[in-house]
Amino acid sequence: MTTFQWLVTVAAVCTLIAPEGRLYAQNEQKYKVFLDMSYSGNTWQAAAANGIKALAATPPYDKMIEFKTIISGTDVQRQISDIQSMIAAGAKAIILYPLSPTALNRVIHQACSKGIVVFTYDSTVTEPLAYNVSNITARYGANTAQWMVNKLGGKGEIIFNHGVAGTAVTKTYDEQAYAIFKKYPGIKIVGDFYGNWNDATSQEEVSKILAAHPNVDGIWTVDGTYGSLQAVVQNRPNRLVVIAGQSNNGYRLMMADPALQAKGLQGISSSAGPAVGGYAFKVMMEVLLSKKKLTNHNVEYPLPWVEAKDIKMCSGDRFEGGCNVFPEGRVPPLFLDTALDPKFLPELSLDAVQTGNPAAGAMIQPLPDPKYADNLPGINCQECKAPADALEPNLVSPIPVAK
Amino acid sequence: MNDILTRSLVSSRTFKPETLTALLVLLGAVLMMLAMKVLNPGFGSVQQIAAILTTSIFLVVAAYGQGLVILLGGIDLSIGVVMSIAGMMIAGLTNGSNEALTWALPVTLISCTAIGLLNGLGVAFLKIPPFIMTLANGTAFFGVALGITAGSSQRTVAPALQVLMSAQIGGIPVPIVLIGWFLVAGSVLQSRTTEGRKIYAIGSSLAAARVAGLPIEALTIAAYGVSGLCAAIAGLLLAGYSSSATLDMGDPFLMPTIAAVVIGGACVTGGRGLYFGTFAGAIFLSALSTIITVLSLSQGWRNIIQGGIIIIALILQTKQWYLLSIVNRQLPGKQSLDGVLPQNSEV
Amino acid sequence: MSQSTRGQRRPIPSSAFAALLYGIMFAIYLLYSPSAITLAGITDLLNNTIVLAIAAAGLTLVILTAELDLSSVGVIAVTNVIVATVSTKVPGGAFITLILVCLIGLLVGLINGWLVAFLGLQSLAATLGTMIACQGVALLILEAPGGEVAAFIMNRLTDTVFGFMPVAGLILLLAVAGWLLFRRTRLGIAIYAVGTDALAARLSGLNVKATKWLAFGLAGMAYGLAGYMLGAQTGTGDPRISNSFLLYVFAAVAIGGTPLGGGRGGVIGSVVGAGILTVMQKLLFAVGVAEFYTNIFNGVIMIVAILFGNLSAILSLRQKAIMSQHRDGQLVPN
Repeated sequence: MTTFQWLVTVAAVCTLIAPEGRLYAQNEQKYKVFLDMSYSGNTWQAAAANGIKALAATPPYDKMIEFKTIISGTDVQRQISDIQSMIAAGAKAIILYPLSPTALNRVIHQACSKGIVVFTYDSTVTEPLAYNVSNITARYGANTAQWMVNKLGGKGEIIFNHGVAGTAVTKTYDEQAYAIFKKYPGIKIVGDFYGNWNDATSQEEVSKILAAHPNVDGIWTVDGTYGSLQAVVQNRPNRLVVIAGQSNNGYRLMMADPALQAKGLQGISSSAGPAVGGYAFKVMMEVLLSKKKLTNHNVEYPLPWVEAKDIKMCSGDRFEGGCNVFPEGRVPPLFLDTALDPKFLPELSLDAVQTGNPAAGAMIQPLPDPKYADNLPGINCQECKAPADALEPNLVSPIPVAK
Repeated sequence: MNDILTRSLVSSRTFKPETLTALLVLLGAVLMMLAMKVLNPGFGSVQQIAAILTTSIFLVVAAYGQGLVILLGGIDLSIGVVMSIAGMMIAGLTNGSNEALTWALPVTLISCTAIGLLNGLGVAFLKIPPFIMTLANGTAFFGVALGITAGSSQRTVAPALQVLMSAQIGGIPVPIVLIGWFLVAGSVLQSRTTEGRKIYAIGSSLAAARVAGLPIEALTIAAYGVSGLCAAIAGLLLAGYSSSATLDMGDPFLMPTIAAVVIGGACVTGGRGLYFGTFAGAIFLSALSTIITVLSLSQGWRNIIQGGIIIIALILQTKQWYLLSIVNRQLPGKQSLDGVLPQNSEV
Repeated sequence: MSQSTRGQRRPIPSSAFAALLYGIMFAIYLLYSPSAITLAGITDLLNNTIVLAIAAAGLTLVILTAELDLSSVGVIAVTNVIVATVSTKVPGGAFITLILVCLIGLLVGLINGWLVAFLGLQSLAATLGTMIACQGVALLILEAPGGEVAAFIMNRLTDTVFGFMPVAGLILLLAVAGWLLFRRTRLGIAIYAVGTDALAARLSGLNVKATKWLAFGLAGMAYGLAGYMLGAQTGTGDPRISNSFLLYVFAAVAIGGTPLGGGRGGVIGSVVGAGILTVMQKLLFAVGVAEFYTNIFNGVIMIVAILFGNLSAILSLRQKAIMSQHRDGQLVPN
């Protein structure tokens, strides 16, 4: 084919594409709202995105907004490029999972200066004009570490399961947890690894460390908890551990199992839950529709905190009557129970967070006033100071240090 | 005595120089573990070695396919995605039931092999460079899977798979038995069958293979298909091991498959390498990651050590060729080592 | 040296096809998003492209010698965190940091080159090792995203000069000009010769090892510069490596018409290839492709771009057959 023939072919192809028309119709009544995901393809992100999509399709929001999801991928420059595209496309509100607390500041500032409402969920940015909704300020590291110390009586061997290296979350939580563990001379961290919030990786690494340290008493994790516990159950079934971590359904079922408790399993189910995405979305909509005015740009989403005694089985497909775990087989073991939040997100059902479809008959419920978050420099603010007790637990009272 | 040993090594049909490489890599793994044991007496117990071997099965299986493709002079960047897709499929199709395995298993394996075959078609007929073809194909199928499932399987993996990964036969964990079996089967398939030898020929010299009338396109497509199949098997095993499936669960394995193949002595331009070498490379990497974990350093230092050891392993490998060539020159009636030396070393 | 081809038409360089594809994609993008043609729109697009373009340019040098280099993302991570930690602490920080990152990139590149050319290691594995090690160094310098890039770098380098020229565009033009000069130098020609046939190059007196060593070194310097520009784009440092970015760098080179087997192609094609990958993302957004299809389109477009480029190979081979064989009518660098 000659070059000319190629050009003609391509032009023909273009005219085929064109009739698709502009998908961003000029509809003045509807607000253009974008969800910008970066990471994708794991349980947490899927549940969070589904929750947001379901809420966006729930009346009355379904008629008020034109909602679109973009996946930018894990390259920060692509996320910058997509946000610029959103600004050019006339977005009124953007909710995103930022790849970096600092790299997006310039483009977010651009967006906010044009009047766009920008919210982040779980992962935060230090740009003062953006709104952050997260429980990164709820001191997960300090609280869980102190809880473990209390349960261990101030002494024991611990395996430390780090999250993904090079992230603000990992740095913050690790700092807090190490500070607590260091206070008690009886506590020894005999092994640590980077589980990267991945259950299969955690399972592999724990089984290797356990083989070298057969007397481990506890495992501290942020995620990958289910995998870490599986490794213990498979390799040392008669002596389980004290463990802190995520809120996977399988993990909660194991926590509440009397047979496993008899073998020494004591667990706390906490960690950031996907529901923070839906909550951030609702807060953003209330700000967008001028139903709420926030005095502080950093909102704290309460840290889930469920002990074995608090676990109650659900019979239906909603968290009602205080129930907070599904029976085995209803959902896969990695399903995150913290994708549902009966207090702030009553509109979400199990199907909604699994598929993104709105629950039948649901209507958006108003939110109570938000709780504002502490300052964490480099996490959610720039020129600011952290509170003096930033490394101290605020949900658990510390036991005294043994002499 | 030295020359007799080397002469027998070199002249024996079964004991090629690449076998020596593979053995040296395994030796390296063992040495590393012994060194760790000195520093940390609790290290290196039978249980820990069993754990290292068990967790290396995913890499051992997935790297086989990568090795086959690299033998042809290509590369497969879709292995991570295919592993994840296989895991998601088996979870989604079985949904906790063992009976469903009878049809879910073949469906999953065939689908993932098809993705591999698609890679092969693009490389063989459309002449798209393997790097781009496998990358683009993997990206596209990742998108399809993401769209269908939103990224995480909502169904449970069939219990039989979970039991497979945690059971024992005569005190030995099943995965370790599987590894041994896979090593034998894979080596035979790659080096002893006519198809396998033809792949070596194609990788060594495409022009010569064409002149000899070898079915280049068919074998290329088959090799990529096998790679897809191996990735699928590895994904199934991973899903069974962790009782779960997510769309990013295969990602940590892609780079290690490439590293395992190359550390095992294969040449990236093709034509040389034993599966035994890839196997040794996989075990080496598994042992390396365990040691790095036990060293309890910050991630920064872990990465530096990991990168450094990979480079040292490569240097030692090249030095071994050099050594062999020196020894070879002193042999009377020398067996020719021409064409055996890697192309990069200008000896 | 190309005087002997007088009277014959030069074959169309493969980068021309890449440029054509880019033009088409940009036209479609413009159709759906008119703001693309404004100065702000073009500046943004060039800013989005430049890091990938410079990295791909560097990688091209290595690939021309028939070697591979995975270390680009590692060097970018290291230099990026250095820019974010040093540039505000030193007077004249912007300039000093620039020199520093170029030297560090050069150093890593020369180490790569030494491992591959002099120690004879396979480039894929050796550079994989240096990439991992570089990521470690980056994490040691900065353990979480943060730091601060000097205001001059952050603001001036992403802006425009003379009122109409985006600085990023200026840098790319300088890079292209530099390349056009470089490929006529002894080293430039040697790189092509080594990639085409290393044995023949050695027999004709070229120092193959030194050529490869320098190619890796220059590539490393380019990666350092890319990390510097990343600091300009994001205003901060990030020690994490994006694996997807690494694959994009290779894709940019391949799409630009430089085959991964070496000996053919050039920097200009790779820069256009980087542009294609960047505008592709804008295009998919503007057209309104649903999230389900984005990845699929990414994959399909990459394949189409290669097929497009393959066309150039077929066409140029036909034209070469028409041309009579001159010993020094060498392969067309572009």
